[in-house]
Amino acid sequence: MAEEQESALQLPPSTAPEAEVPTEVSPETATPEPPSSAAVSPGTEEPVGDTKKKIDILLKAVGDTPIMKTKKWAVERTRTIQGLFDFIKKFLKLVASEQLFIYVNQSFAPSPDQEVGTLYECFGSDGKLVLHYCKSQAWG
Amino acid sequence: MEENEFFGEKTFQHYCAEFIKHSQKIGDGWEWRASKDCSDGYMCKTHFQVKNGTAVSHQGTSDHVQTFLPVEEALDPPLDDLEVNETTTAAEVIKYEYHVLYSCSYQVPVLYFRASFLDGRPLALKDIWEGVHECYKMRLLQGPWDTITQQEHPILGQPFFVLHPCKTSEFMTPVLKNSQKINRNVNYITSWLSMVGPAVGLNLPLSYATAASQDEGNVDGQDSSIERKSLEEH
Repeated sequence: MAEEQESALQLPPSTAPEAEVPTEVSPETATPEPPSSAAVSPGTEEPVGDTKKKIDILLKAVGDTPIMKTKKWAVERTRTIQGLFDFIKKFLKLVASEQLFIYVNQSFAPSPDQEVGTLYECFGSDGKLVLHYCKSQAWG
Repeated sequence: MEENEFFGEKTFQHYCAEFIKHSQKIGDGWEWRASKDCSDGYMCKTHFQVKNGTAVSHQGTSDHVQTFLPVEEALDPPLDDLEVNETTTAAEVIKYEYHVLYSCSYQVPVLYFRASFLDGRPLALKDIWEGVHECYKMRLLQGPWDTITQQEHPILGQPFFVLHPCKTSEFMTPVLKNSQKINRNVNYITSWLSMVGPAVGLNLPLSYATAASQDEGNVDGQDSSIERKSLEEH
């Protein structure tokens, strides 16, 4: 899946770790701007360079899951996986019958109360935490 | 449907063995139980949880006021070792049992579970729902009887709740395919349990995530350097 380009909305250009080609709109779904949510911040209220407060998360879709237009987010360390669930579900407009899974290491689903800061410490590299997400009908 | 996400009982047992190795390292309490004729078996874990009360004063580190003990601390202690704060009289201790069995018909692992009070009274399914994490409640509540059924444990012959396995291969496939792309060996059991466990109150410590990829072994570097050396000497 060609999903490597992202727009780092919240990163000041000078600190963007990868100087990549500007946003390539994903062909599959054109998702609208996220609802303003307290879960993650695309905003510029604090520089992401201040790694004490926020960490970079890169979201990658697995399987047939819609790709988020914005994949890179600055997230507070104390935000939980549960919080990310809520955020991604809203962003992708998932219905209640659809289950979302988020993975570290591409294969392990951390428990919902796990904080992303901890995940970053354990699984982050190159200044970011890569999380894969997948929607599915897990039940029934 | 591709064959990758299905496996035989031997493979199931292998993944369970690897999983249990790690569990033993971190004291997570999983063990293997073989059936009487040892032809098959299952993996199981028991943990205790305080319901509707304050946290169990267990080594003084738990600050969870909610219903779950952190899994890392929920070792499988004999009851008399479990330090329950005597003043929390309103609290009840619940014993949860989780069993991982292999389903021949679906060719995937299946999670069996049950809960009871210490006096042996079983918990009803509706009580178990209270322990389901918020993020799963929405979906599971829509059709709980589609997803959790009560069945006889194939080896113990006792009633357990079962997380229905019919969709397992469907949600495991993308994960496995994705990992295969990058040539990573995934412990199916670890991955699967991390996904379904939280729905029934079972959380896996993070260290399992890195344990799985360590199992691949790092023989290459050492062997080749040894070979090189011996060649040079000759």
